[in-house]
Amino acid sequence: MLASAKASHLGSNMSVIEMLVAMHLSIDCEKVRSRSVDRSRLIISKGHCAAATYAVSAEFGLLASDALINYHVNGSLLAGHVSHKVPYIEHSTGALGHGINVAVGCAIGLRARGFLESKVICLVGDGEIQEGSVWEAVMLASHLQLSNFVLLVDNNQISSIRRTKDVLNMEPLVSRFQAFGCRATEVDGHSVEDISNAIAEDGRSSSPGVVICNTVKGKGVRFAENDPVWHYRTLNEDLLHEALAELR
Amino acid sequence: MSKDQDIFFLTGDMGINLVEPIQSQFPARFLNVGIAEQNLIGVSAGLANLGYRPFAYTISNFLIHRCLEQIRNDISLHEYPITLVGTSTGFDNSPLGPTHHIVDDWGMLKSFSNFKVYCPSSVSYAKNIVPRVLSQDSPAYIRVPKGNPINPDSADDVILIGSPKSEVAIVTYGGLVQECLKVHEANSKVAIIVINQIFPLDEDRIIEYLGGKRQILVVEDHVPKTGLYGSLCELMVRANIGVNIEGLGPTEPVFEVGSTPDYYFRRFGLDSDSLLKKCALIYGH
Repeated sequence: MLASAKASHLGSNMSVIEMLVAMHLSIDCEKVRSRSVDRSRLIISKGHCAAATYAVSAEFGLLASDALINYHVNGSLLAGHVSHKVPYIEHSTGALGHGINVAVGCAIGLRARGFLESKVICLVGDGEIQEGSVWEAVMLASHLQLSNFVLLVDNNQISSIRRTKDVLNMEPLVSRFQAFGCRATEVDGHSVEDISNAIAEDGRSSSPGVVICNTVKGKGVRFAENDPVWHYRTLNEDLLHEALAELR
Repeated sequence: MSKDQDIFFLTGDMGINLVEPIQSQFPARFLNVGIAEQNLIGVSAGLANLGYRPFAYTISNFLIHRCLEQIRNDISLHEYPITLVGTSTGFDNSPLGPTHHIVDDWGMLKSFSNFKVYCPSSVSYAKNIVPRVLSQDSPAYIRVPKGNPINPDSADDVILIGSPKSEVAIVTYGGLVQECLKVHEANSKVAIIVINQIFPLDEDRIIEYLGGKRQILVVEDHVPKTGLYGSLCELMVRANIGVNIEGLGPTEPVFEVGSTPDYYFRRFGLDSDSLLKKCALIYGH
């Protein structure tokens, strides 16, 4: 998708694949498909991982696989940031520090409607949490003890152009979120099982859950791993073949 | 809220001695998000995702200026029927300084074509707004001026006070309507056109009222270029109405304290005395 579209954000997409899979495994996708009002909600606050979101969505039967080739194509709805015009995407994002607030609103709404079995899982980036609005959402989720709200942080340690610790160091993340009243844990962000278990564990708490997913930006594509430039650089034909060979 | 179970009221920690009855009668659909306006809008969008009809309330400057990106991305793009309720307009908060002067708010929303903006000039019109926004599936901003004026006692979007044949008309809305009514009382030759729904405009009615005039004065508590003056200039060009039009409103921030709005009205020529003099000059005496 990224190569044929000559699109950016390779690193940001490769770091969240397992997180997206775990998110989909943690909810009843049938209810998502039927647009049932009591469905659990997945909110992709880090909207620039649209390619990964659409690919995983297709794996779970929420998007036709043959639609993926339309990413970035004229007239297609598959833009570089997730769009609610694409089937089953709850909310359009792109500007950072928006989706998490909407996710908290969904969690409040689910509770107010009495849909206590459903939850909201929200994906944010570790650069994104530099936005002040993120903490407005976290504070409210904590104050209201939104146990139906789980936040996954893609801790790939690189934001837009630099390493997060050099730009605006937010570590230690776990104790920072704990200080805000959340139940925070840290997992291998490339282990679907570990992430899924952490999400399930969070549902049993009386506080909102935060799962710090330690990931590698560009995971699986060695030349792109941990290199900030792959937030923006696009794949040429040779690099595409190299990347695909490694992934296989 | 008792009739419509989907109404959800949110405040950004504003509305003392105002919001308490809502909280006590409808605790499950009342939420004070704290002094966190970006979250106020985002949470409202999340509630709209659940099918609620959120009303998000705080002072207009905190609501619109701080949250413009949330309003665009999380409300307008999603076409959520969220109603923004902003108290204070223009110079209502006069001595609090320019951060609290609300003179450049609703003009920014004109870029969001699915928004409707109401600025009630009287209690009669204000009463009509909530049922109206509930009957629509679009986002709305209610820009609420301070005060409880009885007149004009009408729920119409556009109200003509005076003769349709008047050569001079003042077009105004919201908190400046009372000043303009004083002008009409002192000089009945000047017609007053009150607009309660300021975006989008009831163009047919306005074209009907503006046609044939010699001079139009637009009097508003908003930067004219991006406010009603801008809207009317664009409409008149499109409708080929060749009438002189002048926009009167705040054109720059004011740091000098005015203890009441009158100070600022006088500064920008929006008070009834200044307007009467201007009209007398137009009439040539």
